[in-house]
Amino acid sequence: MNLNPLPLSTSRTGGCTLTGALAVTTGIKDSVTIIHGPPGCAHHNFSLIHATLLDNDCMGIPNVMSSGMSEHDVIFGGEEALCKVIRQVASEDPGIIFVLSTCISEMIGDDVMAVSKDAEVQVCMVPTGGFLGGDFEKGFSQALIAVSNLALPVITTPGGVLKNPGSVNLIGEKNLEYEVKQNFIEVKRLLSLLNLTINLRFAHDITRNDINQLPFASLNILREPALSGVGDHLQSISGTPYVSSFPLGISGTLSFIRDVADRLGLAPDEALDSEIKNHAEIFEGFSDLVGTLVRFNIPPEHQEYPLIMEISNKIGFRESSCGTVLTVPYPFPVGTSGMKRMLHLWRRTLTCRAA
Amino acid sequence: MPGCLNPVWPCALTGAVTALSGFSGIAVVIHGSSGCYFYPATLLHHDLHSTFLVEQEVIFGTSERLVEVVKNLSRTYKKVAVVNSCVPSILGEDVRDILSEYHIIFVDSPGFVGDFESGYLGAVRDLPVCMGHGKDCVNIEGINLIDPFARGNQREAERLLHLMGVSAGTIFCHDSLESLSSTADFTVTINPDLSAGYGHGLGSFLGLPSIRKTVSALADVFCSAETAGIENEIQVVEERITKAADKYLKRFDPPSVAIFSTGSYAGFASATLQQYLDADIVFCGSRNEPLPSCTNAVKVTSLAEIGAAIREHAPDLVLGSTFERSVAGTAAFVGLTPPVRGEFRLSSKPLAGTEGELSFMEDVLNACMDHQQRKPVQ
Repeated sequence: MNLNPLPLSTSRTGGCTLTGALAVTTGIKDSVTIIHGPPGCAHHNFSLIHATLLDNDCMGIPNVMSSGMSEHDVIFGGEEALCKVIRQVASEDPGIIFVLSTCISEMIGDDVMAVSKDAEVQVCMVPTGGFLGGDFEKGFSQALIAVSNLALPVITTPGGVLKNPGSVNLIGEKNLEYEVKQNFIEVKRLLSLLNLTINLRFAHDITRNDINQLPFASLNILREPALSGVGDHLQSISGTPYVSSFPLGISGTLSFIRDVADRLGLAPDEALDSEIKNHAEIFEGFSDLVGTLVRFNIPPEHQEYPLIMEISNKIGFRESSCGTVLTVPYPFPVGTSGMKRMLHLWRRTLTCRAA
Repeated sequence: MPGCLNPVWPCALTGAVTALSGFSGIAVVIHGSSGCYFYPATLLHHDLHSTFLVEQEVIFGTSERLVEVVKNLSRTYKKVAVVNSCVPSILGEDVRDILSEYHIIFVDSPGFVGDFESGYLGAVRDLPVCMGHGKDCVNIEGINLIDPFARGNQREAERLLHLMGVSAGTIFCHDSLESLSSTADFTVTINPDLSAGYGHGLGSFLGLPSIRKTVSALADVFCSAETAGIENEIQVVEERITKAADKYLKRFDPPSVAIFSTGSYAGFASATLQQYLDADIVFCGSRNEPLPSCTNAVKVTSLAEIGAAIREHAPDLVLGSTFERSVAGTAAFVGLTPPVRGEFRLSSKPLAGTEGELSFMEDVLNACMDHQQRKPVQ
């Protein structure tokens, strides 16, 4: 695989903005997403999302519509085809219609934004443009921002912006990751240690009307720091502060509790004590691994290396070039429960190797 | 309907890449973006390559990047195949001219020109095939690596030819680059939808009636071909299936069935279920343009239309892909069409050949039995 980079920092393997945007728009279950391009683009993405839903034991079907761009449309323009599809979808009265452009519609110069504006129905155009619009992450962020703009304006009272005290939003859960449900459960558990509840999972298995709840949370928790642009946008429109990532690693989980408590003016001590005790019990359960020779499949310069080293030291592994290679899952496991699952995987690897 | 809600069938690019990647020794380069690369790569689990185009190359031209990638691959592969995706196809660069220093296969297969089959067949026709060197053997056509039955079908076709004492020639598309230089004059297929026309066609191994005719045609061409063994096998298979189907029909009504697959597979399933179970085929949907022989099939590629057909006809049994399973409701389901996800498939199940007939009917009868047993007693 030749990945020779350009002088610019554009990613060659960053995937398609469509997939990123669809990972958000298909999380809104009463929506229809129209992809203005050939049916193949819609199929690729629909198939991928469908497979992910199956992996997560969900038989739900995302509504992904193709404008069915043909060779004729490529030559003579596809705006008319898009118009017809928007009208067709609108006749079914979905909660919201999203329109995404593809690299082909961008190439032939279709004005997707103008067609969407003239559609006589409420349409949310997400600027994508296939790979010409950026990569997966950009599509994901753009879609979160576009969808957030559908929320009702914030309500300002004499005491400030109206908020639901003690509630937080989860922003940008990775709907395509295998552990999305487990990660949600873990974050919810950690928040419950501070007596906090989830206001909205933005955008996971929600409806168009649920989006209106977005401004009312007291805090936004981003899935990962790459979504800081989305966090900034939400802060600017609703005044909601944010924590930049789900918890990762031992001290990362504890600092997550501290950060959340700090943003909301809560006392973290009881929650921290509880989680420290939880950590101790987990590591006690893996005491049989003390002194095992291991090495990890990520280099020291990798950003997650310190997290792994902390866990390795806590277990009592001995790093050695002749040790068993332990794989660090991607994405990095979330919170204490994710770390525990990773430890089980490692023990299984070490046991298999020993056998 | 102008649009297509939840399209269930891949594009021409995926078809072309599937065909080319079946030949070892050929490096397949998807000339396009990473978005176009990832889908075939995840479907095929095969080493694919790509130019991974970025915006700047679309503006200033892709030739430099294309040469760079092909040059590198030419050092390790005997042949490089470049498959054009939508954007470079519109750009209109002369890829053959750009790569004139290299011996490449160029396939222009942008997704907007058609479906999987058109891309697959277009790529097969662009292969550097040299005919007339394999007079004593027979090519096998129709192997499609995204088909859950691909491995099983190939093995079954090879076994049947071996049983007749006839050697297998080039396998389209699961063979080596070298095999293309000695392609036989005769061909059998396991999937008539994917017949590219290399060699004189002797018939299909899909379904027992077709196998009978094909065996006869093979015997006409190859004087030394042994037919008794295979004819006996066909008879045994028919008896075994008939016995099992009779047992089912003694207790239950024939199932009503909705079939969703490519034209040939759908036609096979329809004929087989009518023959053994007197099944009522309430709907027969084809992913591609159905062959003229499939008179009752209609082309359907939208999951919305598939779901509507299933709701309208309320079949006892649905045959199709994972997509159909997700809208099958309480009906029994048997996987017939890619993708088949959400279950472990480790063995090499065929659909073609005598073993394919047995395997298909085994799956259908077991699914129908389970379905009947789940029904509440009135």
